[in-house]
Amino acid sequence: MKRHPHAWRYLSVAFLLAGLGIAVLVQIVRIQNSPAVAGVINLGERVWKDFYPPRGEIYNRHGNLLAGNKTVYEIGLDLTDNPDMPTVMLALQMSGIDLNEVNYRISQAPVNAQYIILDDFVSTDKAEQLMTLQKAAYADPTGKNLDAIYFKAHYARSYPENDLASNVLGFVTEDNHGYLGIEEKYDNILAGIPVRLLVPADPRRATEYPTIPPGQTIILTIDREIQSAIENILDQALATTGASSGTIVVMDPRTGEILAMSSTPRLNLNNYQSITTVFPGETPFNRAISQAYEPGSVAKILTMAGALDSGAVQPDTVFFDEGSILVGGFRIVNWNGGAWGYQDMTGCLANSLNVCLAWVSSVKMESDSFYSYMQRFGLGHATGIDLAQETSGRLKLPGDADWRPVELGTNAFGQGVSVTPIQMVMAASALANDGKMVYPHVLYGQIQDGKQSNTRTQIVGTPISANTAHTLSEMLANGLETESSAALVPGYRIAGKTGTAQIPLPGGGYDQKDINATFIGWGPVDDPRFIVYVWLEKPQSNRAASVVAAPIFKKVVEELVVLMDVPPDAIRLQKNGQ
Amino acid sequence: MNNVTQIVQKVRQAPWRVQRQWIGLFLLALVLMAMVAGIYLNVTVGATLAGREIQALRNEITSNQRINADSETQLARLTSVEAMQKRAEAMAFQPASLDDITYVAVAGYVAQSAVDLSTPGSSKPAAPVILPEYTESWFDYFMDQQASSASAGAQP
Repeated sequence: MKRHPHAWRYLSVAFLLAGLGIAVLVQIVRIQNSPAVAGVINLGERVWKDFYPPRGEIYNRHGNLLAGNKTVYEIGLDLTDNPDMPTVMLALQMSGIDLNEVNYRISQAPVNAQYIILDDFVSTDKAEQLMTLQKAAYADPTGKNLDAIYFKAHYARSYPENDLASNVLGFVTEDNHGYLGIEEKYDNILAGIPVRLLVPADPRRATEYPTIPPGQTIILTIDREIQSAIENILDQALATTGASSGTIVVMDPRTGEILAMSSTPRLNLNNYQSITTVFPGETPFNRAISQAYEPGSVAKILTMAGALDSGAVQPDTVFFDEGSILVGGFRIVNWNGGAWGYQDMTGCLANSLNVCLAWVSSVKMESDSFYSYMQRFGLGHATGIDLAQETSGRLKLPGDADWRPVELGTNAFGQGVSVTPIQMVMAASALANDGKMVYPHVLYGQIQDGKQSNTRTQIVGTPISANTAHTLSEMLANGLETESSAALVPGYRIAGKTGTAQIPLPGGGYDQKDINATFIGWGPVDDPRFIVYVWLEKPQSNRAASVVAAPIFKKVVEELVVLMDVPPDAIRLQKNGQ
Repeated sequence: MNNVTQIVQKVRQAPWRVQRQWIGLFLLALVLMAMVAGIYLNVTVGATLAGREIQALRNEITSNQRINADSETQLARLTSVEAMQKRAEAMAFQPASLDDITYVAVAGYVAQSAVDLSTPGSSKPAAPVILPEYTESWFDYFMDQQASSASAGAQP
């Protein structure tokens, strides 16, 4: 056999090419199975990943941020990295991190823990200080570094206005749950829920990462400037009257939008942990919706509205006040115990005569008609306002085990019946809005997919006719003018009513010392833009609402007409007449 | 017939010819495999780099969202009612009372209305755009190509 003289050349080339080919294949197999990259590109591998979507923001009606988010840090320690604990603790201390908290967390960690969370919700300032120390220690030649410390940024709730509108907003705890107010009521749409998911480790499958939707942004009906004004007025009122607590609500009677709502005490929402000291015991977080009380004479406007609407009385119906009336076997007297003689219905309201209103309810209207109207006004039922923890108050009805016939008389002037301020405001909206009672609400709108959808005005009932509403408003306005009420605001015609109510004692009977002072009013009478409700609990400076509550109403209205651009009646009517 | 006999005879005289053919075939197969493997490696590396970039951009988006949230909150704090009142007082302003105000009729004046925070021009969040070339199969690709060429040649 003769061999080709140059066969070795072909063989060399063949071996070279074969070697190259095999080297390429080996390299591919090696890369695919390399433990160094297995955790990154292994096709099937998935890793846990935390997603922290931001909670939806809360704005007021003019776009001012009331509740937003800020970055905070979870600081952890990787024990597998053999951290130098004295160095770590020193760095934490130098960064201003609470070592007591850190020591507690370390003591609670399992024995075989590989990672410990040293602290959470650490402010950006402190975390950045620690990061700076970590960088400096990285170059430390002694080897006492801080490489084992890890930082995980996430969101925390922040309230730029501190305690402004705190009774309406509520707060969010560290577990991202809303409590009280708007934060609780709309928790399901505000909360972008943090989730921990298994996601592909393979970067080529990065598009398979889930999209965690952020919480929806919402806009409130609250006007920040009005809210601030009423809170200042309320604080001053408590200081001057010595009242134990106070509540002011401002609502647009045409739409049911709550423009401002405040009660005492208020909470700095950035320090919500102090709630137990600020609200000791059973103190309601928002008295406007959560504390029912006997409102007293402000309820007379509902009694008179029902009587006028049913035709039981007319504005000029005359009643002879003998100073007392017998209802259900009990004698009812006036607030001053006096007899006021002949009074028309305007006089009965202006002088706040219990005897007259008890006569209207028990004699002119009778039980069925009276309670029918009270129910139509929503008494005894929660309004459904979009705030957490609303209570409904109590309207006892004939047939209830604890209802007594005398209550047909006492309910007419707001005793023996309990309501929340928001219930009274909703009921009064019918008087200020042509007989149409509107649903009170705090949510103005919400943003979804970049589009804003606004809450529509809801009419929850028409308990009285427009004519009755106008007539009663006129009677109340005339009454205020006749008595030269302290609630009157020069240039503006206002309708309103005081309420001085006794406070029932738990064991029965009424407190002989303290009272609840209330004023409800709306204006301008011909085109109401606001309803204002003022309630002072147990004022000490005076026992008459006309003295303590009416001036506060006046102050609120003086602020409102400026902030809401409501010109005096004369100018407005002149302009409208042009 | 003679040709066949000649070839057989030549092969018998030089068996290395056959060996060379086998080696050539083996090398050809090896080179083809290496080419396919090389292309696969190249595409994989490209996809991995793109994936890494997506991951990095996602992290950047998250970081930017946090910075935005921080900035918004800080701005709100700086313009809070309390802060603005302090600034106004420092500049010698005082709240207007009823007596301070003179109303003037201004034609076309529109009172301040509630805010609309809709994002201008957006009805839906933009969906991520991934070209079909990255998701469709070879079969789909060829079918698309065929359909597009057929439609290009079609007469109205």
